[in-house]
Amino acid sequence: MNGTVNGQPLLSVTDLRVGFATQRGLVRAVDGVSFDLFAGKTLGIVGESGSGKSVTAKTLMNLLPSYARVEGSVMFDGRDVRELAAQKEKHFWGVEMTMIFQDPMTSLNPVKKVGEQIAESLRVHLGRSRKEARDEAGDLLETVGIPEARKRLSQYPHELSGGLRQRVVIAMALACSPRLLIADEPTTALDVTVQKHILDLLDELREERGMAMILITHDLGVVKGRTDDIMVMYAGRTMEQADTATLFSTMRHPYTEALLETIPRIDMPSHTRLVPIPGRPPDLIDIAPGCPFAPRCRYSVDACVVECPSLEGHGTAHVCACHKPVGTEAGIAARAANEQQGTTPTGLDMGLFEGAGSRSGTGAGN
Amino acid sequence: MAGSGTIQLRDDDDIVLRVENLVVEFPVGRHQVVHAVSDLSFDVRRGETLGIVGESGCGKSTTARAIVQIPRPTSGTVVLDPGSDREAELTALHGESLREVRPRLQMIFQDPISSLNPRRFVRDIVAEGLAIWQKDHSGPHSQARIDEVLEAVGIDPEVAATRRPHEFSGGQCQRISIARAVALDPEILVCDEPVSALDVSVQAQILNILEDMKQRYGLTLLFISHDLSVVRNVSDRVVVMYLGKICEIGAADTLYSSPAHPYTRVLLASAPEPAPTVDPSDAAIGDEIPSPINPPSGCRFRTRGPRATDLCAAEEPQVQQLGEDHFVACHFPTLG
Ligand SMILES: Nc1ncnc2c1ncn2[C@@H]1O[C@H](COP(=O)(O)OP(=O)(O)OP(=O)(O)O)[C@@H](O)[C@H]1O
Ligand SMILES: Nc1ncnc2c1ncn2[C@@H]1O[C@H](COP(=O)(O)OP(=O)(O)OP(=O)(O)O)[C@@H](O)[C@H]1O
Ligand code: SF4
Ligand SMILES: [Mg+2]
Ligand SMILES: [Mg+2]
Repeated sequence: MNGTVNGQPLLSVTDLRVGFATQRGLVRAVDGVSFDLFAGKTLGIVGESGSGKSVTAKTLMNLLPSYARVEGSVMFDGRDVRELAAQKEKHFWGVEMTMIFQDPMTSLNPVKKVGEQIAESLRVHLGRSRKEARDEAGDLLETVGIPEARKRLSQYPHELSGGLRQRVVIAMALACSPRLLIADEPTTALDVTVQKHILDLLDELREERGMAMILITHDLGVVKGRTDDIMVMYAGRTMEQADTATLFSTMRHPYTEALLETIPRIDMPSHTRLVPIPGRPPDLIDIAPGCPFAPRCRYSVDACVVECPSLEGHGTAHVCACHKPVGTEAGIAARAANEQQGTTPTGLDMGLFEGAGSRSGTGAGN
Repeated sequence: MAGSGTIQLRDDDDIVLRVENLVVEFPVGRHQVVHAVSDLSFDVRRGETLGIVGESGCGKSTTARAIVQIPRPTSGTVVLDPGSDREAELTALHGESLREVRPRLQMIFQDPISSLNPRRFVRDIVAEGLAIWQKDHSGPHSQARIDEVLEAVGIDPEVAATRRPHEFSGGQCQRISIARAVALDPEILVCDEPVSALDVSVQAQILNILEDMKQRYGLTLLFISHDLSVVRNVSDRVVVMYLGKICEIGAADTLYSSPAHPYTRVLLASAPEPAPTVDPSDAAIGDEIPSPINPPSGCRFRTRGPRATDLCAAEEPQVQQLGEDHFVACHFPTLG
């Protein structure tokens, strides 16, 4: 999907499928996802809760529970990642490919000093001596912008603020100079100021080290300024994928449009009526035929309920899975027809979207 | 910067809530106190939504809880309906008299699922408040009221009668919390991060419902959030807090289009999509918030503020008026 770099992608994921056998049935958490990622680039993965973002990441990181069923191929620099997993290759994860999570405590040991935690990884994977590892750990804390870095080496995680903890986790992730860093909602729990610092830091490090990055978030605003490409996921599938500029200038998928419209923007006047996405994502066990977004979609037509759209190209490196893409003649006509009818073929009341974007009446304040 | 004063209070017949010189301190360790809220004053007009923003730990939740008197503030006053025959100064009320005014102020919280009793049917949860506050809760009037509020938030009353909270999604549970609060016909609804735990798609549904409930039931809202875009969207007026102090207060659109306090500017410039009214360089600030146990002298923001001078360390800035509805507590505000 990325046409700007010559040569081979660093990471190439093809038709990835992940199912979880549960008592209720098979949960199809990821259902046919493909993407390429080149060195030095950032891919953003966005989508609502439960859309399969973390499962995709955990599959790459070999962190799935044993009952997960994985199909498809994941190639990293010419090597088959699933084979590395089968061979229990321990110098791959945490070395060449590494991940940071929303809650820094997921990655930190609460009863161990942060210096020791970083040093350990350097000793195990890179064979550094104790002294070397400790010095390097201090350097790493400096790299990630922790004030008085050397002093922090002997502190415990609970003695640090949330923002500093996430910086320590980033330092740990960088210890072995990974070539791919996966950040799963790395800043969701942090204040805006700290969020900005952490995202800036990740940007700088990626740039300096030519590292590739996958940035997972539910916030389109976060990915907008910080990614080269975006993949929009829904119900375990790729709905739309494009380079970031294209996605925002000519988005084609009704779900992408809906996600963007539902978020208040900071420059919208107060009391601008928000456009909700009605309903909720489908159950991943009994996925109905047809488009998974159909019950919530303003553009849907009869065909959407019976026939699942496949990913189709819309210009260079832009794909979208929809029968009636936004901004196309077909899409415009379908939405207009639904507006005329007052309802969609799936029974969605178009009145739900009325008044959206306008200023709603207010109380005494105005 | 972050300072004190009461000039922002309005002389107005239609004020529903007036908070004056609110102080909340928590004793910790030996002879130490957390200065969670320090000399905070604001008021809210009937039908208005006042948004409160600021970073984690700046005292937003503490302010909300002090208003509902759980726990009681260290000092200051919280007056409901000042100047009317329903006037009540909450910090002076005790026992039965406090209990009587309680329903006039309802609260909803960030985590919708854990704030609902898991063992009860949803309809009973909504009825619970009425049962506690009104003697005739089983009467037809109350039953109709419960159905009405459930429908208003988009929950089918019949479904609610046979299901427990865990059978609903997070967004639906937040609707249920709203219904429970509104059932009591409060004057003021205090919302503490009501959409922070929800998915973006659900967030808009809840914000629209709050807006609708406000219209329908003539509610006044106090809306706390760390999300600047959300706060602007729902609020008529906004207060920016820092380390227990007020920085800036004013009409929402005025405050966002001409932010005067350096901290407001930091927040607006740090947002994922920064506000167009500030410069990217306005975001420059350290990560570390000083301890509320030993807050900086003078202006509490001075240790992070790029413009701070000796004056800021020596003297706490008082709130001053910049425009018709725009007030700031800073020695060196940015003037539009
Ligand atoms: N171990 C598991 N067993 C069964 N189902 C699982 C398991 N892990 C994830 N799932 C299901 O897979 C789906 C995708 O989950 P995933 O965690 O990838 O969502 P997500 O996009 O990361 O959402 P969020 O934004 O909430 O983090 C969900 O329906 C989830 O319930
Ligand atoms: N019961 C308590 N005992 C001691 N300190 C407390 C107590 N409750 C709150 N604090 C402290 O008071 C300050 C203000 O806390 P508060 O919860 O009001 O912040 P907040 O603005 O709501 O933050 P957040 O965005 O994280 O919810 C913090 O420093 C907090 O640690
Ligand atoms: S138009 Fe049809 S195919 Fe496209 S998103 Fe809507 S329901 Fe799906
Ligand atoms: Mg996730
Ligand atoms: Mg709080």
